[in-house]
Amino acid sequence: MNLCRKPNLAHFAVTIIGKDRTGIVADTSEVLYKLGCNVEDSSCTMLGGEFAMILIVSHEKPFSKKKLEEEFTAKTAGTGLSAFVRTLKDDEVCYQGPEGELCLISVYGSDKPGIVYRVTRELADRGVSIADLNTKLIGKPTEPVYVLVLEAALPQGLSVEDATALLEKLKKELSVEISVRLITPVSL
Amino acid sequence: MAVKPIVIYPDPILKQVCPPVQAIDDEIRQLIEDLVDTMHAGPGSVGVAAPQIGVSRRVCVIDVSKNRHGKENNHGLLLMINPEILAKSGGAVMREGCMSVPDYTGDVERATELTLRFTEPDGNVREFEASGFEAVAIQHEMDHLDGFLFLDRIASLKTGLFRRKSYK
Repeated sequence: MNLCRKPNLAHFAVTIIGKDRTGIVADTSEVLYKLGCNVEDSSCTMLGGEFAMILIVSHEKPFSKKKLEEEFTAKTAGTGLSAFVRTLKDDEVCYQGPEGELCLISVYGSDKPGIVYRVTRELADRGVSIADLNTKLIGKPTEPVYVLVLEAALPQGLSVEDATALLEKLKKELSVEISVRLITPVSL
Repeated sequence: MAVKPIVIYPDPILKQVCPPVQAIDDEIRQLIEDLVDTMHAGPGSVGVAAPQIGVSRRVCVIDVSKNRHGKENNHGLLLMINPEILAKSGGAVMREGCMSVPDYTGDVERATELTLRFTEPDGNVREFEASGFEAVAIQHEMDHLDGFLFLDRIASLKTGLFRRKSYK
């Protein structure tokens, strides 16, 4: 079943971020539940000390973005949470990511500005689409190590070996380790 | 040729612990034939377990020999009745898809070395060691016999569950 194909649904992207505390997810989902919204997709995580939520929610039409914003404003007032709502068009709801060989690219090394930019720019210029990206600062405070892991779909004609070679010069330039490996799913 | 329709979750049969086979009769032999036919009909499939075609019995079939991950290291077509894992070791994460959970795949950690015992359709009890992708496939299919799906094995939805792209 593909919910995005239901013509009677309005879809919204909701972004919520604020200093972490117990109950952010419960408060947010309470607002949505009381309005009759469905949470169709979501990702919530800690980024530093901030709790960040991205949700795709749907509601039977007619339903206004204003109503959603008003309820979030009332709920988040004085809590330090920021809420942002965007209405999704039909083609955004039904978006399908690019096809291609999936690979996981790991980058790590001494922390310095520009690691994410240089790696992703190199990939973007070759038509490599990023589906997921996470970064973390690890190591000791005196010797911070930056870790970047991203999942990407390689376009037709670009192999894992090509992608490895593509990033090879960045390894020396940024003094980081970079590995590329295939993660194409197996059917069992 | 008896290709059976694949049972899709949330069909409750996929969450049941399958009872062992007590006697290998015509019904079991037919079941094995149906499993093999269904496996060969599935796109890129390397294994099918009995509950996936609606039969709650401890039977599964596996053949990774035509898959690029398994063609160098396999025991060919395995017809497994009442399979048991006697020992396992090693570990690797692989992105698994399942015909009973269409449209999604998940990163699952499995043992990479297995010692296994099962009964073959002619009644012989066979013990052997499997490794690599064949070991992963065996564990996936045996999970079905205990009512587990790969969704029970993923550690994180954020980093572990993905919309299916393509199978190779």
